Amino acid sequence: MRQLTAELAEVWRFRALFLQLVRRDLKVRYKNSKLGFVWSIAPPLMQVACITFAFKNATTFAAKFDSYSAYVLAAMIPWTYFQTAVLDSSQSILMMYGVIRKVYMPREIIPLATSVSNFIHFAMSWLVFFAYLVFYLHAPLLPTLAWFPVLILAQFFLVTAASLVVSCLNVFYEDVKYIVTVLFNLGLFVLPIMYLPEQVLHSPTMQSLWGGWAARIYMWNPLAVLISGYRKCMLEPPHPSVLGGNAATPFDPGSVLGILGVSFVALVLSYMFFNARKWRFVERP
Amino acid sequence: MTGAPKPSIRLAGLRKTFTLQHRHAGSLKAAMLSIFTPPRLERREVLRGIDLDILPGETVAIVGRNGSGKSTLLSLVARVYKPTSGEVTVNGTVAPLLELGAGFHPDLTGVENVELYGAILGLSRRQIQAQFDSIVRFAFDRPDLAEKIDTPLRNYSDGMKMRLGFSIAVHTDPAILLVDEVLAVGDEAFQHKCLDKIEEFQAQGKTILFVSHDMVMVRRVAHRVVWLQDGLVLRDGPTADVVDSYMAEPGPAASAAASPG
Repeated sequence: MRQLTAELAEVWRFRALFLQLVRRDLKVRYKNSKLGFVWSIAPPLMQVACITFAFKNATTFAAKFDSYSAYVLAAMIPWTYFQTAVLDSSQSILMMYGVIRKVYMPREIIPLATSVSNFIHFAMSWLVFFAYLVFYLHAPLLPTLAWFPVLILAQFFLVTAASLVVSCLNVFYEDVKYIVTVLFNLGLFVLPIMYLPEQVLHSPTMQSLWGGWAARIYMWNPLAVLISGYRKCMLEPPHPSVLGGNAATPFDPGSVLGILGVSFVALVLSYMFFNARKWRFVERP
Repeated sequence: MTGAPKPSIRLAGLRKTFTLQHRHAGSLKAAMLSIFTPPRLERREVLRGIDLDILPGETVAIVGRNGSGKSTLLSLVARVYKPTSGEVTVNGTVAPLLELGAGFHPDLTGVENVELYGAILGLSRRQIQAQFDSIVRFAFDRPDLAEKIDTPLRNYSDGMKMRLGFSIAVHTDPAILLVDEVLAVGDEAFQHKCLDKIEEFQAQGKTILFVSHDMVMVRRVAHRVVWLQDGLVLRDGPTADVVDSYMAEPGPAASAAASPG
């Protein structure tokens, strides 16, 4: 524990460089186009539009929502953040390789800066969501919205944890980036993005599989818990007909606190994993 | 106590051993498949106990054939490697010169890159802003070059990037400058400028530690030469003496010395 605080003190000493790296990431991200931020949020919005088109026309449940696209968008924003932050950080250390071979710095500030710059972008993306919610859908702001900061904090911990592990492994193994990309492609379908987790939990197949454990394991996925939490704290529950007559489970503050704790533990463990390897990044005889 | 000055750099019993994996698993897939067959490891001792004091104001060149541990020694002083055993003590700020293009981002402008690169070398934003004009003037003496400072770095030639990097590094006002063979790049006029700057540093009493195969450069700049061989200090003394015996050595040492750069 003492060693961990010493490492963090060293990060603090290098905060000026850390802030420059965050600025660099954001500048580069918004510089490549005239429209900057608007342009960089276009891909997830187009994805939501296409998913809405497909599901409203090809399935029966999507049309029963008051606003299906709000449900998809509330899941797509955190999912896009997770993906881009982890993929960006997988390259982050290699991009700075020529520097860290010559100049001392606590190496964790490199993936940390990527994680923070992506978090800033993520926070701004929610503004688009809330604008849509309030000005287009005229939806009420629910009191459970008070839990929203806890959710984004939990996700920040989780994303940073994943970024530290992936950025570190990617220095030693060249195929990490491809493996992560494949997993992310699967995530779009396995995570409750285009549907509700309750639909999986109530599905007869999942309930009979492994004596009901399959449904329980599905909700062990921290991202599934987060996505479900975002939706329940911001959006009114869908009409019971969406879930075949069952009411959606209400917002559960306990699960939010649980995910905050899990993400924090994951962050501490990932940081220790990173620290145990960071000195070997550049060492070559 | 004696009145001897505190050394800028003190290496005490410095050892560095690398662990090499023979069948190197370059991919996670291979690493997972070979989880039950532990890799054969080889330990290579690159530095085997170096004791060295470098005093403030000294310019010390490290010579030796390839694989003698020169760059490893410089990396240990720069703190990018962790010693296996022994100690590195550095008094004062250290500025390493980076390889061409490292730390720069092609999409950012020259101005933005100066800020970033300065931060990498440990300058605060205020320090960078205060030095900014001087950095640009040193790097680009022609007005047509200086105009480019507001355009993305992708428009710069390699020579311009090199100039800008060197200019930022020397403007960090370090107490100790580490140079690892990077001055061989750039046109002749700029090389002269770099040498002038190094002489200016010497006049200001700064410490310079550099690695070079270029004996002309070593003779011209260094006060003292340390000759490394197989991870140990073979000779350490005044430039002329050590360089003469290094050049007289048959084999790779002499041939490396004959072809500068």
